[in-house]
Amino acid sequence: MRRHARRVFNLCYRFTGNRTEAEDLSQEVFLRVYRTLASYRSIHGGFPTWLTSVSRNLLIDHYRRTRRERLTDSLDDAMPKLENKESSGRRPDQHALAGELSLQVQDALGKISPDLREAVILRDLQGLEYQEIQQVLQIPEGTVKSRINRGRIELARLLDQMGLRPH
Amino acid sequence: MNWTCEQIETRLSEYVDGSLDASALSAFEGHANGCQRCAPLVARVAGIVAQMHALEMLAEPPQLAEQILARTLGPRANKAKRSGVLDWFRPMIQPRFAYGAVSVLVTFGVMIPALGIDWHKPKLADLRPINIYRAADREAHLVYARGAKFVSDLRVVYEIQSRLRPETEPQSAPDNEPQPTKSSPSGTTNGPQKNPRGLNRARQFSSAGVVLASAVPGACERISP
Repeated sequence: MRRHARRVFNLCYRFTGNRTEAEDLSQEVFLRVYRTLASYRSIHGGFPTWLTSVSRNLLIDHYRRTRRERLTDSLDDAMPKLENKESSGRRPDQHALAGELSLQVQDALGKISPDLREAVILRDLQGLEYQEIQQVLQIPEGTVKSRINRGRIELARLLDQMGLRPH
Repeated sequence: MNWTCEQIETRLSEYVDGSLDASALSAFEGHANGCQRCAPLVARVAGIVAQMHALEMLAEPPQLAEQILARTLGPRANKAKRSGVLDWFRPMIQPRFAYGAVSVLVTFGVMIPALGIDWHKPKLADLRPINIYRAADREAHLVYARGAKFVSDLRVVYEIQSRLRPETEPQSAPDNEPQPTKSSPSGTTNGPQKNPRGLNRARQFSSAGVVLASAVPGACERISP
């Protein structure tokens, strides 16, 4: 359960950019999964794919619900505070480096469109295959590839503007 | 085949993911390596993708799992308390315990009437050893007497049947395979030989009458003229 919880939390956090929202949404995801577990069929793919699909639908619902609030509030206020709370088993210098990269990636993700953002998150941060992403997003494979491609290019340009250079 | 910058941009992810076939890869690299616009873009995207793949997942809040369990399965404290109480009764929910309980009830159902205890009006005196002994002794004698009577009745029935059987059994054989020459002691071939089944029945009735006459003399006197 903890493994799935971490995966769902990361997906929610990368999509919303807000740790508190991600935590609440993760709980909502598991609540929805618990209530609709009877509707799960193996034809939908593996359980992780189904879980990701449920998470993504909830995230889209959340995104549409909070769109108006975001127009007035900037996500930039929340971003720096979020990454300060991160903790992992790395050395301090690695932690700082990874934290900085994670922060910048998160910042750039928040600036690209939700369609491209979810495709890049699923592919590059969640490690899903194209076919799994196709199942989760319910769109043709060509569209999946196109979104991932455009998302990566936009992300690279944004990170370049932020001063992040690839190692 | 020479690719354009737009083609490079369109198929950049396929190149980064390593899913281009040999000819496409050759065309891609042929253009990208010599293009001042595309080369930095390819390097940048490939580097960012590699860095994102290397990013570890963020640790979820420590209380998240507890909160999820609380919202789906209910508060854990109550669950622990409930499971603690259930632990006492868990052995009783098993089928073998139910079988044991039923067998104990049946045993009591048999033993208590046998010990002379009245279900409807139980008295303290019923539990005295002397009363239990007397009731058990009485019940045992009653059971023995009933058994003895039953056995003697069975014996009479079997005795009557065994007297009837030697006369009837040998005659049932000709019933299946009629032998006209042996069925007539007088040697005549007329009348009864044409109907051996009727002859056998007549013999059966006559032998049964003899047995009944010997067993119940009074009845025979009344029947016989």
